[in-house]
This record gives sequence, C-alpha cells and structure tokens, in this order.
Amino acid sequence: MTNRREINLRTREALNGYGFVLIWIVGFSLFTLLPLLETLRYSFNEVTVTATNINLEFVQGANFTRALFTDPNFVELLIGYAIETFVSVPIVLIFAMIIAMFLNQNFKFKGVFRVIFFLPIVITSGPVIRELTAQGAASAPGVSNIPAVVEFLQELPRALRTPVEYLLTSFILILWFSGVQILIYLSSLQKVDRSIYEAAAIDGASSWEIFWKIILPSLSTATVVNAIFTIVTLSHFSENHVIQYIYSQTYNVQGGIGYASAMSFIYFGVMIVLLVVIFLLLRSRAKRESK
Amino acid sequence: MKNNWFHRYTGVANRGMNPKGFHVSQIKFYVVLVPLSALMLLPIIYIFSSAFKPPDELFAFPPRFFVVNPTLKNFTDLFSLLSTSGIPISRYLFNSILITLVTVAASIFISSAAAYSLSKKRFKLKQMLFAINNVALMFVPIAVTIPRFLVIERLHLLDTFWVHILPVMALPVGLFLLKQFIDGIPDEVIEAAQIDGAADIWIYLRIILPMIQPALATIAILTFQAAWNNAEISTLYINDESMRTLAFYLSTLNKATTTGAAAVAGQGMAAAAALIMFLPNLVIFIILQGQVMSTMSHSGLK
Repeated sequence: MTNRREINLRTREALNGYGFVLIWIVGFSLFTLLPLLETLRYSFNEVTVTATNINLEFVQGANFTRALFTDPNFVELLIGYAIETFVSVPIVLIFAMIIAMFLNQNFKFKGVFRVIFFLPIVITSGPVIRELTAQGAASAPGVSNIPAVVEFLQELPRALRTPVEYLLTSFILILWFSGVQILIYLSSLQKVDRSIYEAAAIDGASSWEIFWKIILPSLSTATVVNAIFTIVTLSHFSENHVIQYIYSQTYNVQGGIGYASAMSFIYFGVMIVLLVVIFLLLRSRAKRESK
Repeated sequence: MKNNWFHRYTGVANRGMNPKGFHVSQIKFYVVLVPLSALMLLPIIYIFSSAFKPPDELFAFPPRFFVVNPTLKNFTDLFSLLSTSGIPISRYLFNSILITLVTVAASIFISSAAAYSLSKKRFKLKQMLFAINNVALMFVPIAVTIPRFLVIERLHLLDTFWVHILPVMALPVGLFLLKQFIDGIPDEVIEAAQIDGAADIWIYLRIILPMIQPALATIAILTFQAAWNNAEISTLYINDESMRTLAFYLSTLNKATTTGAAAVAGQGMAAAAALIMFLPNLVIFIILQGQVMSTMSHSGLK
C-alpha cells in the first residue's frame, strides 16, 4: 500500500516536471537540437546547394583535416581566440568580483553605481558595439603606438607579446563584458549570512582570512557560472574574428556549408577545452583552500 | 586597525549600518567607483555624440570623442532617405515592436517554467536535458542557420510572423541563467508551500517567479536586445518585404551606402541609425533595472 502510494507520488512529481519543461523541449529540439545534429552530419559531407534541394556527398573527415592542416587562416585565428579568451576571462571575473564587493557596501548613491555597472549589458550586444568597433573606438589604438609601449613589447618574449598587447589595447573592451557577471556575484554575495562574518571576526579572523576562507568559497558557484557565461558571450560576440571567418566561409564557393560546419565543430571543441581548463583551475584552487 | 580598509571593502565591517547620508569615510568608494563608472558610460556618450557629428568630425584622425559642432544633418539625411522607400517606415517599426514584445513575453515564460522544472523537480531526464542545453549554449549560432532554414521550410513557416518568434523563444542562455538563480532558492520554501497544499502551478507563479524577479528582468533585457536587433531572421527566412523588421531595414541602409561618395553621408546616417536602434534598448534597461536592483535577493530563510 505504502509502496504504491510512493510510486504514485513520484510519477506525479515527474509528470509535473515534464509538464513545465515540455514547451521548452519542443521549441528547443525543433529549432536548436535538430539543426545542431544536422550540422554535425553536414560536417562530414561536401554540401552543395542547388535551387531545388541540398546535395550531400560523404567525404569522411576531409573538412576537418582541411580546416586544421590546409587552411592558412583558421588555426591562427583559433590560437588568437584562445589567447584572448584566456586573458579576458580572469580579468572579467576579477573585475566583476571587486566591483560586486564594492557595490555590496553601504554608501550614498549606491543604487546609481549599481545601475551604471550593469549598463554594459546594453552595450555589448547590438548596434552600440558594432558602431564602436566600426569606428575603431573599442580598442585603444593610440596605446600600442606609444614609443614606450612599443619598446616594452619588443623586450617581451614572443609568447608573451600577443597576450600583453591584446591586454593593453582591449582592456576597456574586456571590462564592458562584465555587466551580468557583476550582478551574479552581487546576488550571491548578498546570500552570505552576515552572522558568519561576525562569528569569524569574533574568533579573531583577519579580514584577509575572511576574504579567502569565507567570501571566496561562497562565491565559487557564481565564479563557475560567470566563467561559462563570459566564455560564451566572448565566443558568440558578433565581432569575434573566428565567427566572422566561419560566416564568410559559409557562403564562399570554395568553402561551403560542410566546411563551415566542420569549422564550427572545431571551434566548439576549442571552447569546451577552454572551459574545462578554466573549470579545473578554479576547482584545484578551491580544493587547496579547503585543505 | 591595520586591516581596516579591507574590512570595509569586503563587506565585513559596516554591517547593519546603512548610512543615511554622506560621510567622509565613504570617499574612498567614490575614488574607485567614479572613474570606473565613467569608463562604463563612455560607449553610451560616444554613440550619442557621434550621431550628431558632421562628416569632417566623423572622419577626423585621430578620432575625436566628443562632438564639437553638433548637427542634425545625419538625422535629416536618414529621414529623407526613409521617406523615399517603397514601404512606409511605420510598417517596419510595427513589425519590430510586435515581434519583440511577443518574443520577450514568451521566452520569459517558457525559459522560467523549464528552469523551475529542471532545478526543483525530480525526474529522470533532468540532468541530461540541462547538459544538452549547455552543449547548445556553447555551439556557434551561425552554424545552425542553414539546417534551421530547412526545419522552418518543412514546417511551412517561411514568410510568416512566427518565424521571427519561434526560433528565438527557447534560447539556451535564458534557461542557463534562470536555472542558476532558481537553484539559489532554498528547497524549504517550496516544501513549506507544498505542505500548505499549494499546487505546482501556484508554487511557480506565486513563489518562484517573484523570487527570481531580478533574473527575469535581466533575461528580459537580454531577450529584448536579441529580438530588437535581429536583422538575420529577416534576411534569411523572410522574402516578403512588408514582414521585415526595422533592424533589417536600417542594416541595409549601411550596406547600400558604403561605397563611393555616398559613403561619407552613409557613415553619418549609420551613426544616426545606430542611435535610433539603441534608444529602445536604453529605455528598456532604465525601466527594468529597478526590478534588478531593488529585489536583489530575499531568501526568506535565515
């Protein structure tokens, strides 16, 4: 008797769960999942579009080898993208965390500042950033022409030069990507029970210790979420060079849909690798602290 | 005393003391925050100022930030060009407004319902669905445009209003962010409601939605921008000129005028068009930011 009731409850719970998610599943599978699987199929084919239909010719991994070994631009763009992401993500995270901690304080006009630091959300998508990059205002071109900076860059080892130059020229652009991240940090900072700080302070913890042992661990979930969000927004940003290259190849006679699909999957793979690396870095640090 | 500055910065000190007014000890916040917030405001000032720039200032090198001799010429150029087009501008505007409103409302409802289910309900496919969503989140959206075209064609949705709305309704980003926020709601709140006999739909409407209002407002802002600025759907899935959006129309203006002598006037018009496209984003942001900021978190439990 109790057993049957148990099953009933559980089934009802599951049914309710499916009910809430159903519309989403339908929309998602039709317009995102199905096309995604189709793209995977294209990536192993030579795709030719005629007026009436689409012809597929199976070419095994030819599209992938072409992208990785023959194409003169693609790998270089990918490396550039990986370096940029590796430089940008920590900056966005640290900047967002610091600003969130500031905005969690009490001072006059706090609300005004919160709004201003949330503003990047309307800057980075759409016409503003397009206009800014078109005018060359998103990067600071002047910086890399200053003699002292040029000399400084010359002194650096080759491997470091690109990231540092990117950092100097695009610092402001990177900061504009931190709107949602600040919000996420702020909301999880506010979830921390203030009495924990009090208890720690009474036990004689310095504020440095409180930061490392209480605040940072309690922000760890938010940090992972932010890292994913940052990587995704940076990678899907319409001015991203890899995206623009894939887009140009899609409608290119020599490129074609199959080739662009293969490149998308490689790009996707690189993104996953970046995510895993950053995730592991974050986790290993969290582990060290918990010891 | 030696760590005093840090106490304040990390939220350790000052607790429970909500300053009613200004105090000298608050100056250090302004020292850091004012310059940084100026940095955040730069792009917006820039977009306003470049819309009013005369041609010689638009092409000045090095680029000048503020407009010196503001002019309305860019706008008059733009409007005179708009009045020559075959389809009245109000048609595009109406399409854009209708599409954006429906998209925002529908996507908030669908994403939040799905996020609630994936976060708080227990069923088999839950983990897998969220994993699939995360994979889709990372996939380059432009790569799926052509297969998506085929799906839309098979569903006979080409050249309909639905094609503007349906594909962008179930966006992975919305679900991803909303689920994170719902995860933050303690289970006890929901259990308490269940004990009181609340049905799932009421838990969703009366408890979940009010508690994630900041996240909903954030998603609303993001979706609004995605829908409002979307020129791609009009390019790819719509052949009927009268069903296209304002974003599409203004983007064709930019392309048409990038060559020859028209390019000079084109730059100015592009700047003016960018400002016109941007203003609704700013308005929505200003309306919704209150939601985001005021109810940042209220867990209801201590």
